[in-house]
Amino acid sequence: MEQTVKNPANGAPDYNFAYLDEQTKRMIRRALLKAVAIPGYQVPFAGREMPMPYGWGTGGVQVTAAVIGPNDTLKVIDQGADDTTNAVSIRQFFAKTAQVATTEKTAEASIIQTRHRIPEKELREDQVLVYQVPIPEPLRFLEPRETETRKMHALEEYGLMHVKLYEDISRHGHIATTYAYPVMVDDRYVMDPSPTPKFDNPKMNNMAALQLFGAGREKRIYALPPYTKVKSLDFEDHPFEVQTWEDECGMCGARDSYLDEVILDDQGNRMFVCSDTDYCAERQEAGHRGPQHHDQPLGTADRGKAAE
Amino acid sequence: MTPQPQSALAQTSELLPGFDHAAFDSNAVFRALLDAMSRPGRIYDLLVSVSAPDGLNKAATATLLAMADMDTTIWLSPSCATKAAGDHLKFHCGCPISTDVKQADFAVARISDDLSFVTDLAVGNAEYPDQSATLILMVDEISDHPSMTLKGSGIKDTHSLAIKGLPESFHAWRAENHHLFPCGVDVIFASETQIAALSRTTRIEVN
Repeated sequence: MEQTVKNPANGAPDYNFAYLDEQTKRMIRRALLKAVAIPGYQVPFAGREMPMPYGWGTGGVQVTAAVIGPNDTLKVIDQGADDTTNAVSIRQFFAKTAQVATTEKTAEASIIQTRHRIPEKELREDQVLVYQVPIPEPLRFLEPRETETRKMHALEEYGLMHVKLYEDISRHGHIATTYAYPVMVDDRYVMDPSPTPKFDNPKMNNMAALQLFGAGREKRIYALPPYTKVKSLDFEDHPFEVQTWEDECGMCGARDSYLDEVILDDQGNRMFVCSDTDYCAERQEAGHRGPQHHDQPLGTADRGKAAE
Repeated sequence: MTPQPQSALAQTSELLPGFDHAAFDSNAVFRALLDAMSRPGRIYDLLVSVSAPDGLNKAATATLLAMADMDTTIWLSPSCATKAAGDHLKFHCGCPISTDVKQADFAVARISDDLSFVTDLAVGNAEYPDQSATLILMVDEISDHPSMTLKGSGIKDTHSLAIKGLPESFHAWRAENHHLFPCGVDVIFASETQIAALSRTTRIEVN
């Protein structure tokens, strides 16, 4: 009954298509349909042991395995980058067990599995974004008991979360939460958007693509259907704001993308580069240049000069 | 005592085949269901061919083959509960079939049936709204003729949907069902070759 693919690795046994057995996939698929029907609600599922440690994306991998078909093209990013260990190994995992096409280009992917970033390029209706989630419960650090947090969600009792944000303001003068910034989904459930930087929160709102979240250790699945209202929690006098940078990307000169800081030496020199590698590469191909790009004339490496 | 010529379960030679390719076909059907549930009211073609036993149509059969197993209880309305349908589901899905609609994870009915059972379907509870039933309603024709205008999560502006022969009482039940959110029943309409879904979040205006 079950379809196997020949593993190209030496002498390794045959796997079922996309590693998981069919019964496990059905169980995850049923959870996914419920998650989509109740946006932002965490559906418990019987998470399996995966051939990678917890914290390396076992939840996202299980969701991807349940969703992926032979005609899909998979992209995997870790903090926006396609070429980091976690992203490369997950991409190879599905190339091997499902023999699907993989890509590093956001526009060519039908499924994008992500650890903590949303691509800068706007996603389309025919794409699915799968998040790897470490701790799915936004209230967990405020209330450690699962029985209590479940009751709080049932009663829409989210006052504690606002108190937490208020304490940020009283201590720092602004809301100091910069990642895993809580959102209200469709005016009902408070949801943890996984530890994406809050820079990405506005992209979740009314996104054309389907967004699925898998937490492997905590065994929870949740979802945002396309075109769903996602509002970052805030106060009237302290509205939600995203991070901004005075610098531009050293490679492509982008000023609208999420930038990573890279320390260059012990003299205090540093540069900023796009966290989304595909976005940066695409801009460079289109001829955009930042001040630290290797095409730039020598001696102009001082930030900002080449752009003039 | 004379030996029975046939066991209670049908001879395997009488059974219709399930999916041609268990992994690929169930994935294709699931993706159509996932798209349908995340974009309520949009109509999706069933891209796999399956044989339907007497009592069920093709899209409903494919949905059950893809989603049901020993962990899900199926309830079949009296017009669907043929021996062929029961044998088919027991053999291919191994799922328990109950005559108590309250137990159902998936309830299957025909649009011409008496639909008064829908009020007995499980809607989940405030802490576990996912412990609810899914109604698979077999219909003759699904179209995007604007007899219903749908709004809500998964819908950009509005979606139009028309289900041939949908009774008044269905809309009354659906309106109540929507107010139960986050509890509630999700509905999958299955014509012979197409599916469309109504999530519990969907608001319906009947035109």
